[in-house]
Amino acid sequence: MNWLKELARRLAYLWRRTRFDRELDGEIEFHIQMRAEELEKAGMPRADAARQARREFGSSVRMRESTRAAWQIRFLEDLLSDLRYGIRALRRNPGFAAAAIFSLALGIGANTTIFSLTMEFLFSQPSCRNPETLRSIQIGGNSAAEVRDSRFLRDAHIFADVAGSFEEAEANWRNGEDTYRLFVMPVTDNFFDMVGVPLAFGRPIQRGERDTVVLSHHFWERRLTGDPKVLGKALLLDGRPYTVVGVLPRDHRTLIGFGYSPELYFPVLREDEPVSLVARLPEGMTRAEAFARLRVACKELNKVHPRGQNASWENGIRIAPVAGLERLDELGLGPFAAFFGMLMFVVGLVLLIACANVSSLLLARASSRRQELAIRLAIGAARGRIVRQLLAESLLLALFGTTAGLLLNVWLTGMMNRVQLPVPVPIQLQIQPDWRLLLYSACVALISALVAGVMPALKATRTGVSDTLKLQQRQAGNQRWTLRNALVIGQLAVSVVLLATGFLFVRNMTKALTMHPGFDAEHTIWAYVRLVPEKYFPEKHSGPEKAHAWIREALDQLRSLPGVESASVARAIPLNDHVSIGTDIRTDLNDRPVHADFNYNFVAPDYFKTIGIPILKGREFLPSDRSGAPEAVILNENLAWRLFGKANPIGHTIRWGGSPATVVGVAKNSRYFTLGEEDPLALYTSYLREGGSNANLHFLVRSSRPRDVVKEIVQTLGRLDASAAIEVKPMRDALGFAFLPSRIGAALLGSMGLLGLALASIGLYGVLAYAVSRRIREIGVRIALGADSRAIVGMVVRQSLSLVMIGVAIGLGIAVFATRPLAMFLVPGLSATDPVTFLGVVGVLLAVAVVATLGPAVRAVRVDPMTALRYE
Amino acid sequence: MEEPTIPEFLPGTLYMLILRTLASGPLHGYAISRRIKQSSEDALAIEEGSLYPALNRMLVKGWLTAEWGLSENNRKARFYKLTEDGRKQLERESSQFDRLVRAIQLVMRSA
Repeated sequence: MNWLKELARRLAYLWRRTRFDRELDGEIEFHIQMRAEELEKAGMPRADAARQARREFGSSVRMRESTRAAWQIRFLEDLLSDLRYGIRALRRNPGFAAAAIFSLALGIGANTTIFSLTMEFLFSQPSCRNPETLRSIQIGGNSAAEVRDSRFLRDAHIFADVAGSFEEAEANWRNGEDTYRLFVMPVTDNFFDMVGVPLAFGRPIQRGERDTVVLSHHFWERRLTGDPKVLGKALLLDGRPYTVVGVLPRDHRTLIGFGYSPELYFPVLREDEPVSLVARLPEGMTRAEAFARLRVACKELNKVHPRGQNASWENGIRIAPVAGLERLDELGLGPFAAFFGMLMFVVGLVLLIACANVSSLLLARASSRRQELAIRLAIGAARGRIVRQLLAESLLLALFGTTAGLLLNVWLTGMMNRVQLPVPVPIQLQIQPDWRLLLYSACVALISALVAGVMPALKATRTGVSDTLKLQQRQAGNQRWTLRNALVIGQLAVSVVLLATGFLFVRNMTKALTMHPGFDAEHTIWAYVRLVPEKYFPEKHSGPEKAHAWIREALDQLRSLPGVESASVARAIPLNDHVSIGTDIRTDLNDRPVHADFNYNFVAPDYFKTIGIPILKGREFLPSDRSGAPEAVILNENLAWRLFGKANPIGHTIRWGGSPATVVGVAKNSRYFTLGEEDPLALYTSYLREGGSNANLHFLVRSSRPRDVVKEIVQTLGRLDASAAIEVKPMRDALGFAFLPSRIGAALLGSMGLLGLALASIGLYGVLAYAVSRRIREIGVRIALGADSRAIVGMVVRQSLSLVMIGVAIGLGIAVFATRPLAMFLVPGLSATDPVTFLGVVGVLLAVAVVATLGPAVRAVRVDPMTALRYE
Repeated sequence: MEEPTIPEFLPGTLYMLILRTLASGPLHGYAISRRIKQSSEDALAIEEGSLYPALNRMLVKGWLTAEWGLSENNRKARFYKLTEDGRKQLERESSQFDRLVRAIQLVMRSA
């Protein structure tokens, strides 16, 4: 630790250098006077004594220097003086500095913003105490267990504690005359205590409580107008009164992560509610130990609460941390992480282009400073020292660029935090600048300073001293392979790759938007009704009769509304939700079972008519397909082909799981969960036959003017049950979720592509303009000798276009390979090496190059030859 | 220069001599050089050009601290004082030096 204290003393010296020098002077003066007095005492006359003492002391200059050296941190002092010099140099050249800093700010702003986004999505920490001993656990291969299983594991005392939370729950909130559907998180009563969720104010839900609620900050702020006296107030949720006991802080992050932010937490009520389990490991328990203990406990659980036939709880045990890479791996989010990896790569390219811009600016400046540098080299400055000084300048640019980039980052991420994504669940980002961002930015600044600065600095100090001093500016003739040209080519190549990626994703989006979902989204309305479960299914095994009666009544009333052509109800609305089943299906034509992964939906009569999916063979469900009637199924074309081949499936029976079912119809293929899915299989059964205690009802209404009947639908349904939460929207608006991935991809990568293009264009323009200005004398001579100005413009343009062509060719070569891994993010029918994309990219770059060249070239020929010749 | 000056005479002993001199109490720079000269019966003298850099290097190392005070003739002077680290360093250096001297003496006697 001694060296640390020593360093601290040396650093302290930096701040009091002036005082130090003054004190040293005082000390020297004292020393000399003491000596003089001594000499005087020995009998020397006063004046002589003073002179003698001063002579004895000798020159104090070297002594001062070595005394100071005792304190100095050589490297730091040099750096500081280099930086001071750099600031002076930048101030003399504000245009250059602004251009370089602007380029870097854009590059670094984009880069750090994507970094922040990636960190938030993939690596954010949930709001909890000691996340390192918190584990999410899975038993029986299922992501959820029942509340009683969670209680069993807790009472087994294998871990410090076990709690559960139901992550996809909804509740109806009755507020005055209105009922709203809320996203809620029912938790076991020990959840808050065990996880250690911090609160903004109030207290958490405590053990043994059944009717308390903790609000999220945004619910409290937006729905309750930030009422400061909210604690103790009652909320009516699903018909039960709850007391508000606490409010979460604004930056609360759930254990699920990914920005999911339910509106409130309340205690789970029923022993059979599904919950995701989370455990607090005792200090120092290893993963293997935890696993072994959980296994033993699960074997016990099999006796108390069997998992079901042929299944047991100890199979499919998973123990995952609540944050970090391991968690992503356990959740199987490889492709998700890959997308962010690609984004990081792309913004890396943007930054590279920005650095190349700065690099070429520095090169241009170095050549105008050539004489200054040559003089310094000539009078004995070490090359290394000058290179360091030039690097300090680029470090300075990088520092300013990074600062500006960070401001851009804060602004952009602030916007992302506010934006409400068009998804069916509440996603709220909480991006805050943190130490990770700072560390990352520091690295980025350092790297970009080096990338941008090293080459120009080496180049600037390489030239022979005598050549330059002779003031002999070589005229750029046909010397083609200069460093600057190489930079332009490299920059172009990188921007081709970037643009190709951006273009590809924009094409992907337009293609996805025009892709037909296979049903009629223009004339249908989706009315989502959430009934209060306790009202319609008082017991877990209550039959659906009460709910079905309500549905029948609702459908009758909807159909009788003016402007409504038909109405139906379905388990899942395509492209928003889906149930997928993988199982063996047998048919009466073939004994061998066929394994199929298909989309499963149960739908009421008139579903196909309402949503606009044609029935190709047979019929759709009828009111007679109700419980008690023989089971009927409708297949989509793909599944019919898979099961029956060319045979007509109508009237045949299939068997999957339970009793045999008769195929009554074949529906046209459509999209079920994503627009990008390929050859999806689908199987429909009748809504009126299916039991199930589902309180979430998805009504579909067909109308030629969907937007005009929305309000009446809301009123009609509301009159039937005031406690139901109702959301009605035209189908077109509800498809946002399906287009979201392609939209986000297009928005992010398209803007990166544009940013890259803008930066590359600035760079290209700068370099070409500079190159032409260096040739003004040559052009002047040519014009004086009678050259045609059009020929000269042609020559300049030809030369720069040849550069551009080389760059574009190299870039295309790279892009063909670089875009190949993107195929997994694209809609079917769009290949990663889409020719339209590449042609578009080349066209755009050529246009930019021509504009960038023409301007300076035209200016050059307009110059009066006399001025040009006198120029130097 | 009639007297041998320390850095040339015995390299590396300057710190030790300064530390030893300060062991009996704080002194200013001039007094340090006087004291060494006196104690060595004028055999050793420290050049001013080495004294102050050496004192500052010792300040950096934390063996000494410096404070302004009044000298015996009521002038402002900078007094150097031994720290705990300095005391330890003195012990280390003087025991090393003793061993060295004894070893040299042994060789000189036996030869």
